[in-house]
Amino acid sequence: MLETLRNFIVSEVGVGIFAVDREYNLLLWNRFMADHSGISAQDALGRNLFELFPDLPQKWLSKKVDSVFMLHNFAFTSWEQRPWLFPFRHNRPITGGIDFMQQNCTFMPVREADGEVSAVAVTVNDVTDVAVYQSMLKQAMAKLEESSSRDGLTGVYNRRFTEARLLEEIGRVERYQADTFSVILLDLDHFKQINDTHGHLGGDEVLCEVVARVRNVLRDTDVFGRYGGEEFLLMLPQTGREGAVAAAERIRKSIASSPILYNEVPINATGSLGVATYEVGAPKVERVKAQADLALYASKRAGRNRVTFYSAQMVDKELGAG
Amino acid sequence: MPTPILVVDDSSIARKMLIKALPPTWDVQITQACNGNEAVAAYRSGKADVMFLDLTMPDMDGYAVLETLQKEGLNSFVVVVTADVQTLARERVRALGAAAFVKKPVDPASIEAVLREYGIKL
Amino acid sequence: MTVIALTEEQRDALQEITNIGMGRAGALLAQLMGGFVHLSVPGISLADADNISGTIAQTVGRELAVTAVRQSFSGTLRGEAMVIYDERGCRNLADLMGYEDEIGAATERELLLDVGNVLVGACLNGIADLLVSPLSYSPPTLIAENAEVDRLINPDQLTWDYALLIQVRFTLEIRDFTCHLLTLMPEESISQLKKALDAFMESI
Repeated sequence: MLETLRNFIVSEVGVGIFAVDREYNLLLWNRFMADHSGISAQDALGRNLFELFPDLPQKWLSKKVDSVFMLHNFAFTSWEQRPWLFPFRHNRPITGGIDFMQQNCTFMPVREADGEVSAVAVTVNDVTDVAVYQSMLKQAMAKLEESSSRDGLTGVYNRRFTEARLLEEIGRVERYQADTFSVILLDLDHFKQINDTHGHLGGDEVLCEVVARVRNVLRDTDVFGRYGGEEFLLMLPQTGREGAVAAAERIRKSIASSPILYNEVPINATGSLGVATYEVGAPKVERVKAQADLALYASKRAGRNRVTFYSAQMVDKELGAG
Repeated sequence: MPTPILVVDDSSIARKMLIKALPPTWDVQITQACNGNEAVAAYRSGKADVMFLDLTMPDMDGYAVLETLQKEGLNSFVVVVTADVQTLARERVRALGAAAFVKKPVDPASIEAVLREYGIKL
Repeated sequence: MTVIALTEEQRDALQEITNIGMGRAGALLAQLMGGFVHLSVPGISLADADNISGTIAQTVGRELAVTAVRQSFSGTLRGEAMVIYDERGCRNLADLMGYEDEIGAATERELLLDVGNVLVGACLNGIADLLVSPLSYSPPTLIAENAEVDRLINPDQLTWDYALLIQVRFTLEIRDFTCHLLTLMPEESISQLKKALDAFMESI
C-alpha cells in the first residue's frame, strides 16, 4: 500500500522528477516530465538523457551531476542564472511574455546503505509565475524611477534628467564619433500675461497643451524636458542644423496653429525658439546651451514667435550690447 | 617497557577519539598536550617516541611544532592527525619530517596500518 | 527565554566536528582553485539577535562591500548558512577558477552560488555525518551583492533571540581570496544539537 502511494505521488506531483545513474541513463521519469517533454516514461527509462535530449547543455549539466556523485552533495540551478533546462512550454501562453517554462532544479544524491551515491535525483520546479512577477516588479521599479525623472505637471523630463541626458549624448558623440546633436530652447511668449489674465490654472493648462502639441511633432528619440517655468529644452540626437531648424519650425507652428481653450476661453499662445548644434570636440554642455540661449534671445528681440539658429555674430552683438 | 607516546590536540574530544583508536595491544605510556608549546616541552623531556600531532591549533600550530622539532634534530616518529585533507597539507608535513598522515575522524584501522607500515611493535 | 549555552564538553566536540567539516570544504576549495587553503580554528559563539550584525561584522571584518550567498538547511538540525565573499574574493573568483575570458554577470553569479553551495554542503555534511543527522538544503540565493556587512541581516525581521554561530574562514595562500562560512542555528535547534553532541560523545 505504502509503495503504491509513493509511486502515485512521485508520478502525479506537480513537479518534474527524474533520476539518472552514473552513465546518465534515466532511472525515473515522472508524469510531469512525460507530459511536458512529450516523451513517455516507457520511452525514456533506460535511455541516455543526452541522447534523448541532444539540445541539453551537456558540458554544464554533466558537471553539475558529476559534482553530486563526487561530493555527495546537493546541487542547484536557478532560473535567474539559467532560465530553463528543458524547453518546456509554460502555462501562461497569454500573459507570460517569456519563451519557455522557467525552472529551478535541485540535484540530490541518492545514497545507498553503504554511503555510496548510486544515482542523482533531479526535481524540476516550474517557477514561471515567480519569473513573471519578478519582471512585473522590475517594470514597476523602473516606472518609479522614471517618475522621479519627470516633471510633475507636464510629464516631460525634469531639468536634472534632461541635463544628464545631454551629458550622455555628448559622451556618446565624442566617444563613438556619432553624428552630432542639436539643442532647441523653447520659451513661451508673454507667459506672465497669460498667468495674470487667466490665473495659474490657465497657465498650467497652456503649458500642458503646448507640451502635447510639441510631442506630436517629435521623434521617439528626441529628449523633451521642462527647464524652468515656461522654458523647455529639447535635445535632438543625430540632427544637424537643417534638421533642427525644421523641427523647431514645426514646433513653433504647432503651438501657434490654433488658440488653446481654457474654460472655453481661447488663449493665443506662441513660442520663441533658439537652436544650436553641438560642436564636436568642445565637450562642454554649457557651450551648446549658451548658444541656444543666445539664439532664443535673438528670436525674442526680433519680435517673438520665431526660430533663430545660433551664429557667431550673436556673441559680438551681445558683447556690443553689453 | 611501554613506548612513550604524545597526543597533541587542542580538543580534548579529539585526543580522546585518537586514544580510543590506538591498537589495544600496543603497550604505551600516554602523555597529552593541548597546544604546540606543551608538545615541544613534552618532546624535550623524552615523552614522545611517537607523536600524534594535530595541525590546526591556536597559538603554536602543528606546522610550527614540526619546524621546532626539525631544528632540534627530530628524534620522534610523528603521525600528523588532521582534518585538513588537502594534498598540499600532506606534502608539507612530509617535507617537515612527519612520517605519516592520518585524516580525521580517525579510524582504528588506518592508525594500525600506519604503525605497522613503519614496523612499530604492537 | 533563558540562554541554552553549550557545556564546555559539547562546545569542544562541536569545534572538533566543525574542524572535520571545514577540512573537507577546504580541500574542495583548494581543488577548485588550485592552491593551498589556510583553515582557521572554527569560532563558536552564541549570538544575540540585537547584536547579530555587529557580531558578523566583527568576525568577517568591516570590509567595504561584501557579497553573500545564503542557504538554509533542515533535518533534526535547522538553520541557515552564509558564505560571505569580500570585494576582492568576489572579483578574483572567476579568475581563480580558471575562467580566462570575461564572463557575464549571470555566469559570475552562478559561480558564487556554486562555490557557496559546495562549501556549505561539504562542511555541513561533514558535521551531519558525525552527528548522524542528515540534512537537506534549500537552493542557494544571493542575499547581497557589494553590500555593507551590517546590511546582511535585517534586525527588524528576526524571530529569534539567540542563535548559535559557527564561523569558519578560508584563505587562499598565494592569491588574494578569503571567504567566510557562517552557520547560524536558532534556539530551538540548539537543544537538538546538544542532544546530538551528547550522543556523539557517548559513541566515542
